[in-house]
Amino acid sequence: MREEEILALLRARDEAGMEEMLKHYGPLMRYIIAPILRDAHDREDCLSEAAVRVWENFDTYDDTRGSLAAWITAVTRNTALNMIRRNNRQQTEEIAAETPSPAPTPEEIILQKERTRVLSQAVDTLRPRDRNLFYRKYYYLQSTARIAAELGMTERAVEGRLYRIKKKLRSLMGGDGNEV
Amino acid sequence: MKFDEKDFDTMLESAMSELPPDDIVEEVTPWRKSMRRVIIGLGLTSLTLNFWCLNYILPVIGMVFLFLGYRTLRRANGWFMGCYVLTLLRLVTWFPSLIWDATIYNRILTESSSSVFLIAISLILRFIGHICLWQGIKAVQRKAGLEEHAGGAVGLIVWFLVLTVLAMIGYSGIIIGLGVIVAYICILRSLWTLARDMDEAGYMIDASPVHLPDWCVTLIIGGILAIGLTLAYTFGGSYDMDWQPMEVSGDEEAAEVRAHLAELGFPEEILRDMTDADVLECKGAIRVVTEVRNHALNDGRRVQEKKKNADGYYSFHTYTVYDVKELQITGVAVELPTEREHWKIIHHFRWTSHPGYFGTECIQLWPAYHLSKGWGQASDFTGQVLYDKDGVTYTSPYISLGEETFTSTSMFWGQSTSTDVFAEFSMPDDGEAQRGYVSYTIKEMQDGWLVDAWINYTHGLSWRQYPFRTAKQQRMMTSQNRVGAFMTVQDALQFNAAEEKTQVIGGSEE
Repeated sequence: MREEEILALLRARDEAGMEEMLKHYGPLMRYIIAPILRDAHDREDCLSEAAVRVWENFDTYDDTRGSLAAWITAVTRNTALNMIRRNNRQQTEEIAAETPSPAPTPEEIILQKERTRVLSQAVDTLRPRDRNLFYRKYYYLQSTARIAAELGMTERAVEGRLYRIKKKLRSLMGGDGNEV
Repeated sequence: MKFDEKDFDTMLESAMSELPPDDIVEEVTPWRKSMRRVIIGLGLTSLTLNFWCLNYILPVIGMVFLFLGYRTLRRANGWFMGCYVLTLLRLVTWFPSLIWDATIYNRILTESSSSVFLIAISLILRFIGHICLWQGIKAVQRKAGLEEHAGGAVGLIVWFLVLTVLAMIGYSGIIIGLGVIVAYICILRSLWTLARDMDEAGYMIDASPVHLPDWCVTLIIGGILAIGLTLAYTFGGSYDMDWQPMEVSGDEEAAEVRAHLAELGFPEEILRDMTDADVLECKGAIRVVTEVRNHALNDGRRVQEKKKNADGYYSFHTYTVYDVKELQITGVAVELPTEREHWKIIHHFRWTSHPGYFGTECIQLWPAYHLSKGWGQASDFTGQVLYDKDGVTYTSPYISLGEETFTSTSMFWGQSTSTDVFAEFSMPDDGEAQRGYVSYTIKEMQDGWLVDAWINYTHGLSWRQYPFRTAKQQRMMTSQNRVGAFMTVQDALQFNAAEEKTQVIGGSEE
């Protein structure tokens, strides 16, 4: 089934669309989850949760901002990251109860948005190959070994390139390096 | 705000929460790049374009693409591992033969039955490779829970079988040939679409880690080929001649014959180049006929002259001037003291200046008895090649000298089989006065026939040719005098033996 047909079914809230979505994008979702969650059970739970989120939040999908694959990629990644945070919170629940709320302050939110904007601008100036590498590492959170295997490079070469990319980004974002 | 390395990494990860760009989503996959390489590799290795050496260059690039593509996919399933191993086998068996083809020894393979065996092995490996690709794609689809379909890969197998059958029966028609090309383009397009459609299934693949990056593998393969070809052209582009210092003749009888022949007008420098055995065959010689011509084996220079005609108009004449004529060919005929007329024919050549490159050389003779019924063969062919270096003369026998039957193709006459006399040899690059001769004896069969003896000298002008052909192979292939890296000059010794005072037809240059 083509992407447009899956989109039409999801918009019509037809459950067949959900099945087709999973059939079509399931491998992509597993591919995104794999480097973030190590535990096989967590991965399966995450896949189910991400599928539910896609179904429930489909109304928020705006095709002018990106393809369905990109949106599903973002939903799946964020679900996996949330699951990690949730797992970590459960492990430190007793301590967390006594510590201040981890929710960001309004100032932190503004700062975060500004950082994201500056970083996006800086990443756009990278060469396509470096941009690809950067997204693999910092968006898809892939391991150096996996990046190296998929790009036909050695791990050392990937690390070297990432170092140079970061150096360039530091320079673009903060002038001499350490400040943002 | 200051960041250390870890904080900076965390900041980068947390700042990237928006939708990834579409081009990144398309590119971040373990499948697409490697599968595209496989399809490009298949395209480049299967169709051959027989010009500018593209029939070698494109398949080499294609093999590298195939190898790199399957290298990434080899852990996806056993079938792709099979593809990888087969491609590696093809690389290992094919690349040495590519280097071998840049030497004069390639004919050992091409003229032997082992070439058929190697071709058969290559075809079988490719056929099994196509089946592995087909099954590999299906296995990936199965793993992803997708419907199994790989029409393009099946088409590739069928197409390959049809092509093999057509090659075996020697089909060379245009209509089916065009059909095969069109079908192949359709199959590749279908495979390309299939690879794109399989992007989602491709996420299930685990790419194989590599010890050497792709660029390094490409560089190593390219380097091995470059070094191998350089060595092949340097050391495999000429015959290994048996050069020995020329011994001073102590044979008094031969010295007497030499003196007698010189009195009859036999060029003395040629007498010095001849073996005692050849000289002694001329004992009691009656007459000597000599003809000398100089030949250019260069392109010369074009000269344009402006001339005023009688009617006042100007006309332009363009012609080629050869400032240097590097090759001197001398024809000598010696009448022997026999009851029925016998002549010893000697074709002598001498490089008066270095032609710039010595690879392989070839002499083709059209003996007098081939061209007229009036003469018959009275002896075998003899001769040797010589050169000077540091005041010493070196001699060597020819690599081969004798009659050979061959089939050549002419634009006008099609395929024809002939039997001619060939001499194969190479000359040293660092010597001077490279020279040699070929001789044979004819006997009169019928009265009144002219002596008409031809020599065709083929010289390799440059090493820049692939696969490497020797001058003899080139001469046997075509009768054209200037083709590719070779040039042939023709010379003939023609005279009327019945005349008391024999004169060559056309006269000598010198």
